[in-house]
Amino acid sequence: MARLTIKGVSKSFGTGFAVNDVSLDVEDGELVCLLGPSGSGKSTLLRMIGGFERPSAGEILIDAKDVTRLPPERRPTGMVFQSHALWTHWNVFDNIAFGLRLRRRPRAEIRERVEQALAMVGLADYGQRMTTQLSGGQQQRVALARSLVLEPKILLLDEPFASLDQHLRERLREEVKDIQSRLGITTLFVTHGQDEALALADRIVVMRDGVMEQVAPPDVIYRAPRTEFVASFIGSMNFIRVTVEEGIGRHEDLTLPVPVADGPAVLGIRPEALSLTPSERPRAGRVHRSIDFGTHKLVDIDLLDGTRMKAMMPPETQVPRGLRVELGVSAFHVFRDGAQVYQAGARGSETERRVSHA
Amino acid sequence: MVGLTLVALPVFLLGWLIVYPILSAVLETVFPAGENGARALSLASYRFFFSDPYSLANLQVTLWTTLVCGVLLILVGLPIALYLRFSQGRFAAYVQAMAIFPMFVPSIILSYALIRTIGPNGTVDLILNALGLPKLPTPYLTPWGPVIGLVWDNLPLTVLMLTAGLGQISNASVEAARDVGAGPFRVFLAVILPRMANSLLVTASFAVLGIFSAFTLPYVLGPAAPEMMGPFMDRTFSDNNDPLNALTQAVISFGFCLVFGLFYVRSIARNQEGRP
Repeated sequence: MARLTIKGVSKSFGTGFAVNDVSLDVEDGELVCLLGPSGSGKSTLLRMIGGFERPSAGEILIDAKDVTRLPPERRPTGMVFQSHALWTHWNVFDNIAFGLRLRRRPRAEIRERVEQALAMVGLADYGQRMTTQLSGGQQQRVALARSLVLEPKILLLDEPFASLDQHLRERLREEVKDIQSRLGITTLFVTHGQDEALALADRIVVMRDGVMEQVAPPDVIYRAPRTEFVASFIGSMNFIRVTVEEGIGRHEDLTLPVPVADGPAVLGIRPEALSLTPSERPRAGRVHRSIDFGTHKLVDIDLLDGTRMKAMMPPETQVPRGLRVELGVSAFHVFRDGAQVYQAGARGSETERRVSHA
Repeated sequence: MVGLTLVALPVFLLGWLIVYPILSAVLETVFPAGENGARALSLASYRFFFSDPYSLANLQVTLWTTLVCGVLLILVGLPIALYLRFSQGRFAAYVQAMAIFPMFVPSIILSYALIRTIGPNGTVDLILNALGLPKLPTPYLTPWGPVIGLVWDNLPLTVLMLTAGLGQISNASVEAARDVGAGPFRVFLAVILPRMANSLLVTASFAVLGIFSAFTLPYVLGPAAPEMMGPFMDRTFSDNNDPLNALTQAVISFGFCLVFGLFYVRSIARNQEGRP
């Protein structure tokens, strides 16, 4: 159990920054997801914590001890790699036991701890198998056991399920969450999958171009994104350009109260915050298609200015292609210059829909 | 059918230029032509080779040179290959260029360059003299002369093959070893070395095959006696005008090379079996 502190860490490659002045505190037993698109610096940050990259500036502290300049083998961290990185010339038992042997633990203790680790990841009878005889999911479990058996203070997971299929990924992430909660181990998890981050994390760090865009619990990230990027990266979000005049944001299909300074702005509306009603208005939006996901329907609406909106509807909703509809909005965000300047309509409070007629 | 057509020409050339001369040499030495031209089974030329102290000394110096060169090539080539595999940047590119450079230098040029460098009154002697240091015994015309030349000449291939072998070891598996607490030396012993055993074997086989049958470098840099099998065969054939004994020496050399070749074939077969 440990606390991780990152103070002003940067990493430059040539002229550009992979990570730029990142500071973060990860509390004891917390699971933090580093989320961002490719090239956002999340893996570089994780590798700096693991000791595989040397920061250009800043400090990394584990339990208040500066580990910035320590090599990986002397850090109290354990890393699970995306590619499993198992040693194929050894069997499963030897893969897991290697770290304990390096620490010169007695043979009986090694056996006991390896068997415990294997049982923990659900591979109790797999010790004598060669790693090449295992499926991708089993290999990743062995990689997890290899890290956990050493009881690291900080567990680092670098997109560990990226190469697995959807079903296996979902199952494994639940298992990882269970193990992490049970052991109470401080964990950093790198992913570019928002569903993975939302399902696993106590807090999410959204990264973009080497900087942190927002650090917050999943529900806050989803419901109160601080920037347009975070809003677009987490979940699905409709963006529509409006012109604000005297506190009213106007678009041909929507008019909403937007109490910000006059000028252009971008409205962000979640699909579940949109409602549809049939319309006779000739310039109203038109249903492009409707996809039934079983639990809900996702309806695409083409507005006359070319904007495509997505609305989440109950599964029983009938919205034939070509139907003209008016949009209702129950909650929305207002962004200007990429940053959120206003948020309206908490859950359940319907914002009055007003339709502007040309 | 297309596949067979593609391999037909190489197989034909293999049979014509390699298999036929081998079989012919074996048959001609085991069934040598008598004075009247009739052939009869006789192992006299082999008996002569293995009872002649000079022939045995030549075989011995050839085996010694091959062994020493093989060991030196691995000892010199492996650190270079490791450096090239795990380093990036301009300096690594320069090192790679330097390591590969000898591949583009013909053996005869290399031989005379080495004579001018390590031979009597060569560059090394001149430098030592300029520094007021005593002369060192020159390796030229000693068994160490061919060793230096052959190591220099075979280093590029060794480095290339070892680097290719190291390329199969992912960065992640090395990092994973460091992550669980292994220092660089332990990573090398426990993770890198076992996983490149095959490529070490293949590299050693290739180097040994080339060195055992080397001619130019031992001929120019080596001692007159004992001499390596390459020059020995040439002298027996040309100077002594003794084709039967030259052929016998060739068959014996081929027998030794075959043993090294079998290591290589076995290793390739094991690789093929290991593939999913």
